[in-house]
Amino acid sequence: MASSSSDQTFDVASLVEDYSLYRISQYVLVVLFIGFFLAPLETGLMTAFKTNRAVAETIPLMPPLAEGFTLDNMTFALDALSGAFFNSLFMAIPATIGSVLFGSMAAYGLTMVDWRGQLGVLVLFLVGIFLPYQAVLVPLARFWNNIFPLASMVEPIFVALPILQSYHANLVPLIITHIAYGIPICTILFRSYYQGLPTSYVEAAKIDGASITKIYRRIILPISKPMFGVVFIYQFTQIYNEFLFAFTLITGSDTPEAVVTLILPAVGASTSGVDFGIRMSAAFLAALPTLIIYVAFAEQFAKGLKTDA
Amino acid sequence: MTKRFGDTTAVEDLSLDIPDSEFLVLVGPSGCGKSTTLRCIAGLESPTEGSIYIGGEHMNYRVPQNRDIAMVFQDYALYPHMTVRENIRFGLEEESGYTSEERDARVEEIADLLGISSMLDRNPDELSGGQQQRVALGRAIVRDPEVFLMDEPLSNLDAELRAQMRTELQQLQNRFDVTTVYVTHNQTEAMTMSDRIAVLNKGKLQQVGEPLELYHAPENRFVAGFIGEPSMNFVEGRHRNGTFTSEFFEYPFDSGIRDDVGDTSDVVLGVRPEDIDLKRLPEGGSSGLADHEFRMTVSVVEPHGDRNVVHLRHPEDASESETIHALTPGTTVVDAGTDVVVSVDPDTVHVFDAATGEALHNRRLESEVEVHNV
Repeated sequence: MASSSSDQTFDVASLVEDYSLYRISQYVLVVLFIGFFLAPLETGLMTAFKTNRAVAETIPLMPPLAEGFTLDNMTFALDALSGAFFNSLFMAIPATIGSVLFGSMAAYGLTMVDWRGQLGVLVLFLVGIFLPYQAVLVPLARFWNNIFPLASMVEPIFVALPILQSYHANLVPLIITHIAYGIPICTILFRSYYQGLPTSYVEAAKIDGASITKIYRRIILPISKPMFGVVFIYQFTQIYNEFLFAFTLITGSDTPEAVVTLILPAVGASTSGVDFGIRMSAAFLAALPTLIIYVAFAEQFAKGLKTDA
Repeated sequence: MTKRFGDTTAVEDLSLDIPDSEFLVLVGPSGCGKSTTLRCIAGLESPTEGSIYIGGEHMNYRVPQNRDIAMVFQDYALYPHMTVRENIRFGLEEESGYTSEERDARVEEIADLLGISSMLDRNPDELSGGQQQRVALGRAIVRDPEVFLMDEPLSNLDAELRAQMRTELQQLQNRFDVTTVYVTHNQTEAMTMSDRIAVLNKGKLQQVGEPLELYHAPENRFVAGFIGEPSMNFVEGRHRNGTFTSEFFEYPFDSGIRDDVGDTSDVVLGVRPEDIDLKRLPEGGSSGLADHEFRMTVSVVEPHGDRNVVHLRHPEDASESETIHALTPGTTVVDAGTDVVVSVDPDTVHVFDAATGEALHNRRLESEVEVHNV
């Protein structure tokens, strides 16, 4: 009975009121922005699967149809990039792990352990963040080539190892450079997280007789897991996409140790013009690892952001 | 012992001797230096001057782990990523002389004792406040320390649980017979749990003594006001020729008080609320009042059931600010707005020096008569 009476008094006008002009325009704006941001992606992805003729003759946003569809671009791009992929991951993964781990250790030492001169060291870390990359390129190249030729030092080891080739040794200086330049920002990110932790964790552990390293290993490291997710994603994306150091320390895109960012500009470009299908395929493939990392660490990432705020 | 942080002196010239297996409570308002004192004993801070001895051994340069102490923190400091079992076991890991099996057995034993064996494999965030509190205690007990240090361990619990844990803590302390230093700002905890209380204010030790000694014979105005709930009434005034005069009162001192006060002129009269008697106003108004009786108006009555807190003001006090409060038995009902006769027995009066706050005279108390063992 109650439902029948509510049916009778159903107010049609209230429906209109709910969809006020303000809200409608809000949603229209949101949809427009989504379209604005997604259109290039859509175009790129569609172009990657089109034949050259289809690229020239169809609207870029349209999906490839029947004879316009091809996987040739993808296979070509994958072929061109496969070596670089290995190089990039071989370089980016250790560099990320290194900088994140050292950054967390440094933050622990600077936040949760008391010692003289802490502030001075912290200032050095801050300076490290603001140091422009361009200013250090030449000294960096000279250091790794003339003063401390680490690449040629470790080359014999790389020859002996399976899978790796001697030219992969050239990536070692790049890894160390990335670790060194990643530490300051990782330290600051971890520091803000550690400052939010109650000091009683460390104090309780101290009273229980745990050493400074044990407190880090058993208490701080496990507690900061969500923050590791955040910093890891950030740092991996940074290092993987980095161009300037790679360009300086690795001689060029024609060398076998070149990373993805060095190879990518050359793929699909030739004297006869630009092959858009290949370029888009390559760009899509190059972006995949960072996307995978985001998906893999999404949960940690969300947790880390939540605890940070 | 003295501790300074830069220019601020947190604890000044504190000297305390704590006998074996005593339950000492450090009590005082926030920022009085009680936590700093505890942290110095624990070794988390080092004293600027002075020495700390535990069991006759000098501790100043020892790291916390070598002091044979255990500490319970206000926020419990349970490691969120470890289970209860791992939390309790953590403190045992650095202790020598245990095999791995003995450690596990010890954890079980302690958990059993505290009634938390069923939740050993849960994470701390799945436990209630009282259970977390027990785990924190377990972590301290498991190492069988020489000294327990507790930093306001009950302040995060609700009232009912706090009362329950208070008793449990006392039982545990009796059982293990471990010297305990307990920090709190809650004078009820201090009174009910301690063997002795040390009252601190602004980094200075005010008085150390047994709870009742502090209650009945405070050495200064601060201790008198801090211990006791509701707190002692203070009336400021002048003393001349054996009579105390304040804005609204005159109170003649008897010979005993007069001898103690001497010729100090600026004094503060202190009376515990329970020592104030209320009577119905006699027919003749305020004319027929005796020496230690006054006419006052009841401004507010707070019934507690077992007792009433009656706030009183002087009828001529225009500001209507509360002057004194009295305790009456729960069955004695007074209405707000009525005039009553207030009488204060000279035997129960405390007198303090207004300038220094020092107690000049404390209430007379023959311990055999008024404080007796059941």
